[in-house]
Parts: sequence; C-alpha cells; structure tokens
Amino acid sequence: MSENKTDDVSEQILNAVKKNSKGISATDMAAEVPDLPSAELVGAINKLLQQGYLDIYKQDGALIYKIKNQLSKQVVKGADNEEKVVYNLIEEAANKGIWIREIRNQSNLTNPQLTKILKNLESKKLIKAVKCVNASKKKVYMLYNLEPDRSISGGAWYQDQDFESEFVDILNRQCLRFLHQRADKIKNNPRGPIVGRTQSYATAIEVQKYITDLGISKVKLEVEDVVTILNTLIYDGKAESTVYPDGSRVYRAIESLIPPPGLVQVPCGICPLIHKCSSTGLITPQDCKYMNEWLEQ
Amino acid sequence: MSHQLGRLVAQILQRYCGEIVEKVGNDLFMYGSKPIAMIVKSTGLPRTQVIESLRTLMKFDLAMFEATGPHVDYRLLPENVLLLIRYPRYLLQMKSKYGTEAELIIEELLQQATCSATLLLVTIANKYKDDKDKNLTIVTLKDTFISLATAAYIQQAPVAEIKEGSEIPNLVQVATIVPDLDTRALMQAMANPVDIKDNIYWKVNYDRFHQDFRDDIMIKAMTRRIDDTAGEVMRLLLQQMYLSSAAWAEESNAIPVTDLRESSRLTDKILLHHHLEHYLKVMEENGAGFIRRAGDAGGGQYCVQAKVAAKLLVEDVLDHVVTERLGSKAARIFRLIRAKKYVEEEDIQKNAMLPNKECKQLTYKLLEEHFISVQPMRKSQQVSGTQKGIYLYHVKLFEAVHVCREMCYASLHNLSRARRQLVSEHGRALDKQRRVRTIVHGMRMRSETEESINDVLETLTPPEVNLLAQVEKQLKQLSTAELELDRNLFILNWYLHYP
Repeated sequence: MSENKTDDVSEQILNAVKKNSKGISATDMAAEVPDLPSAELVGAINKLLQQGYLDIYKQDGALIYKIKNQLSKQVVKGADNEEKVVYNLIEEAANKGIWIREIRNQSNLTNPQLTKILKNLESKKLIKAVKCVNASKKKVYMLYNLEPDRSISGGAWYQDQDFESEFVDILNRQCLRFLHQRADKIKNNPRGPIVGRTQSYATAIEVQKYITDLGISKVKLEVEDVVTILNTLIYDGKAESTVYPDGSRVYRAIESLIPPPGLVQVPCGICPLIHKCSSTGLITPQDCKYMNEWLEQ
Repeated sequence: MSHQLGRLVAQILQRYCGEIVEKVGNDLFMYGSKPIAMIVKSTGLPRTQVIESLRTLMKFDLAMFEATGPHVDYRLLPENVLLLIRYPRYLLQMKSKYGTEAELIIEELLQQATCSATLLLVTIANKYKDDKDKNLTIVTLKDTFISLATAAYIQQAPVAEIKEGSEIPNLVQVATIVPDLDTRALMQAMANPVDIKDNIYWKVNYDRFHQDFRDDIMIKAMTRRIDDTAGEVMRLLLQQMYLSSAAWAEESNAIPVTDLRESSRLTDKILLHHHLEHYLKVMEENGAGFIRRAGDAGGGQYCVQAKVAAKLLVEDVLDHVVTERLGSKAARIFRLIRAKKYVEEEDIQKNAMLPNKECKQLTYKLLEEHFISVQPMRKSQQVSGTQKGIYLYHVKLFEAVHVCREMCYASLHNLSRARRQLVSEHGRALDKQRRVRTIVHGMRMRSETEESINDVLETLTPPEVNLLAQVEKQLKQLSTAELELDRNLFILNWYLHYP
C-alpha cells in the first residue's frame, strides 16, 4: 500500500515537473502536490533524484527541479556517480564536444580516474572522441550518436581532420566544366549578347544539382559548400559572379584578359634563381642550363 | 633606374651601337648627367670617340643634353634605349595597317633617325628601283608618306634654335604640318639626289604607335572576354575616343551611342547593328570595367576607362606570372588577397580551400618574392610574447608591378646575353655563310652559270649547314621571345604611366 502511495506521489511530482519544462521551484512543487507533508515530499524527490528522473539546479538562491532526459537516463543505468557526472558534462557540450581538461576542471576528478571513466564510457559506445580540425592534438568528447559540428569536423572538406585537397580539386574542376559548357553561349549569340549572357550564367543550385547527379561525392554537398567551391574558381580567375536582381548569385566561366605574357614564355620568367642571376659568379646567363635546354627544344 | 635596367641598357647599346657607345652609355646611366670632360675621364676613351658616341646617342634620341649657362651636361634616356628592341613591332604594325610602302618608309626613317621628306622618299625609291616584286613608284611612296604624316605616325623633328651670343642650340618642338610634296620635284631629285634642298626634317612618332598597341591589347582583351563583336564595339569606342579626348587620358570623355551607331554602320557585323546597346550593356557589366556608362543623354553615353583597363591587364599579367612561378594555388591566394584588400592568414586558408600547411607555405613564398606585402598590427607598442600579433596581408600593386618589371628587364638582358653568346660562338660559321651569300648574290646579278654558283654554295659543308640552320632557329626563337617580353613590358609601363 505504502509502495503504491509513493509511486503515486512520484507520478504527481513528475507530471508537475514535466508541465514546466523550465523547471519548477520547491514551493511550486509543494502547491502541485498539496496533500502531502513536506517531509514525505522531500523524501520522494530525493528518491527520484537518486533514480535519475530529476535534476536539481540552484537559481537565484532557490532550488529548481527539472525533468531529466529519459534517453540519457536509460543509457547511464548501472553507472556510478562519477560516470554520470562526466556523461552529463559531455552531454551538455552537445555536438561541439568538450575537451578533457574542461571535464576535469568541471568535475573535479583526478586525471587517472577521469581517463578510466572516459575509456569505460567509450567502450560502452556511449561517447566518442573526435579530433578537432583546428588543433590536431586536441581531442574532444561528445555523445556517440551525434554528428560533430562543422567547426570541429571542418565540414565536407575534412576526412578524419585531414583536409581533402584532392576532393576539393576534383569538385573545382567539375564546377568549372559545368560553367564552361555554358560559357560559349555568349559568343556571337544570334539572339544578342544579353540573352547569351543569361544563358551562360549558372546559379549555385544548378551547379550543386550537377555535382550531385555526377555522384562523385560520397558526402552530401550543401549549396553553401558548392558556393565555397565556386568562390575558389573566382579566386582562380576562371569565373566571375554577378548578382541577379532577385538577389541570387550567378556564376559564369571567363577567360583571362590576355594570353600568357612574354615573361612566362621565357625560361627566366619562371626561373627560381632569377634573383641570384648576375653577369659574373656561379649563376650567369652565359652558361645557363635552363636557357640552353629551352633553346635546344 | 635600377641595376637590372642598367644591365639591359648596356646590353642593348652594345648590340645596336657597338662597344664604345655602350661604354659611354653605361657611364651616363650610372652617373645620371655629366659633361663630356667627365665622361672622357671616367671611361678612359679618347675625346673624339666620346663625342662621336654622344652624337650617335643624341641622333637616335637615346640621350639628351641640358645646358646651364655655358655648361652642358649629357644624359641618357634609358626608356628610349628600350624602344630599340621594339622596332620590328613598329614595322609589322605599319605593314599590316598601311602596306609595304609604309613599312619601308618607317624602316628607313628609323634607320636615319631624322631625315627630310624628299631625301627619304628618293632614297627608298632609288634603293628599290630595280626590285620588280615591290613595284614601287615615287607617287605611291609620296601618298603613303602624306597619309602617315596625317595619321601622325611621323612628325616633324624639333628644330634647333641658336640664341645670339650662345653656341648651344635649343631644340624647339614644332607643330607638324602635312607637307605638300611635288611629284615632279621628287622625280628630278631621284635623278640627282645630291642637290636636295628640303630642310624640314621628320622623325617617327613612337607615341602614336604605342596608342595603336594599347588599342590592340584592349580590343583583344574584349574579344577574349566576350566575343568578336564586343571587340569591334571596343574598337569603335576607341576610335571615337580619339576624336574627343587626349590619347592617353585616364578616362575618355563621354561618347554618345548615336555616334557609335553612326560609325557602326560602316562595319559588316550584323550582330553589331542589331544589338549595339545590348553589347554596350554587357561590356559595361561584364567587360571587366573597360567602359562605364556616363549618362543618358543622346541615347546613353559611355566612357572608356583606360586607367582601369591598364590596372586590370597588369593584374592579369601578375596572375599569369604568379601561376607560372609558384603554381595555380599560389595564384589563387594572390587573387584572394587582392580581392579582400587586407586579409589575415587564417582567412586566407578558409577561403582558398587549401590545406593549412600548403597555404601557409605559398603565402610566405609570395611574400618572399615580393608579390604581396604584410602589415603587422599591434595593439600596444611593446612586443610581448603572450599577445598574438595580427598580420594583414595585402597586395601593393605598384610594387608588385615593379618587381615584375625588374624580372622582365633581367630576362631581356639574359636573352640578349644568350644571343650574344650564340653569335660569338658560331661567329666563324655565320661569317662564312654571310660571305657565301654575298658572293652568290653577286654571281646571280652577273648571271653566271648555275654550276659555278653551286660550286660556291658547296663550300659550306653539310655539318656547317646543319649547324647554321640550328643557330638560325635559335636566334629566331630568341628574337620572338624578346618581342613577347617587350609586349609584356609595354603593359607594365602603360600602367606605371598613370600617376
């Protein structure tokens, strides 16, 4: 009978807490469960806290109770208090992850103890360690089922914190190819240059569709990813972009204004030693190997 | 006035004017301006030789004199010395625009430096009297000369004025008056070249040629960027620009579309007739800023922005140079920095989509080669270890252009040096070939038998012939490269020409 009664009380308390997702203060709690002496109420709350149904916070000097995430409660079942604390800290960090030193500072656990707990949790596949792209030595922990944030993983361009320059290069080339297919339409278009220009433009969404259809990327590329690639094309001088009246950005492949100038057609223009070359000394134009090779082509 | 320029000038003078002139020229280059006595002293050459050299230099406008009272200083004009390697381009330009006669006139005039019209035409006519292929007559020559003078490719040389009581002449620029040459007088002069009394002297107007070169670059750029018709529109715009603005103006006066339409009727491009306004609009928006809409009066007005065009072209040159020297990734960084004006290292990495290490390396390489500059920003004056400084990278275009120009000078010098080396190495064989050719030419003139001509030709052994063919090919390659470099320099100087 008494068991039943406690269950009822717990139910009531939980319902009260669930209704107020922002948390409920002790006085409000007493109002929600009126026909209960405060001693019993405290007892019931303590029990719930122990079982991990409730969380307790201190706000403006008053105690606040909050409902705890059901899922996490299940996961930590059977874990001891330290593990729970660590787990909670990691959970709070969400997909940004949390650094081991931060955990240590916040949990006040000793280093060997903490390592042991983290290992334990990792082996249970509750959390995972993710390497940060910005600092190669820095490892952050987050829940196992979370996708790391872009600032941690670097987005589509990173694989295990290594920048995939080849992937970027390939995409860069494919985007350019797509733009090139259209670019010729501006040339002597019988319907006039403005129509031609419009036909030679491509929006980022079109490019993204083209790339996705090609199926070269295992990762799903967002439009903003494609925009980054298109921007590299602009920095390569192979494309230009304009804004349409409706605010969308369009891209067009262009050619450089002049063919390669004379300086890069002669060996000296690309010679790494040009600044060391002089009339006398070790490096002279008279017996320059590069020059002779170029002449004998 | 750099070390590289000095080396190049010396090399060019050596090639075209010989060693003595080179010595004098080099001396003048190093010391700025100095009087004859000083040149004699520092070069150790006899006074007569120095005077002779100075005469040569002054005749071809490679040097000038400055008189302060009785004291005369001489000064080298290095930029004019560089023009010597541009001569083939002038000739080519003439040949393609006005035909063979014009080419011959300009060639002769370039060789003579200054010459009176009558003498010039008579000399050419006499020289090619027997040449049946060219079929020159003094009348066509005269007409070409007049049209060249009208188009300002040639102009009157400055006239020397001697003030009373002074022995130093004063060169005064005179306005060019298109001459009225009498064909009969020319005919008479041809028969008797000694008593020509024409005393109006002419010289080549380099500036006019340079305007042509500039127009050509701009038209070609538009053609590459949009299409042929856009190139044609650019040509029309430039044509109109000459009518209303100074040739080297940073920005032309507004050109009304109606005028363009008028002149576009003369061309046979159908697209142009139908879509002139559209082309102008596209060129304004996508033509890299070569033109700008200036107003709506008279159906719209456009300006040619020569200065902007020069800047863009120079940037393009630099991009090419960076691409070839450090790779396309470096070019991406270079362009990125230029686009963002001032940018931090981390932002470069983020936008260039390059691996951190590679990006850093390339940025430092660019910095090392002086294509970009860095501006450290410190919050406080003291340098403290903990505080991380902010380093902003940026492109100082003017300085980058100078770096590029120095490289051009160095390359030109090296090519010239290699050429000299090549010629001196195979000097004997080349000499022999020349001699054989002269003999054969003489024999042909005397119409001797084919057999004896062959005998002479066979004095060149097959290995020698092979070697000569190779040398000839290499020399040709070197001259082509020189001309290309000169084109490159032209763009750079065009940019630097605007203050």
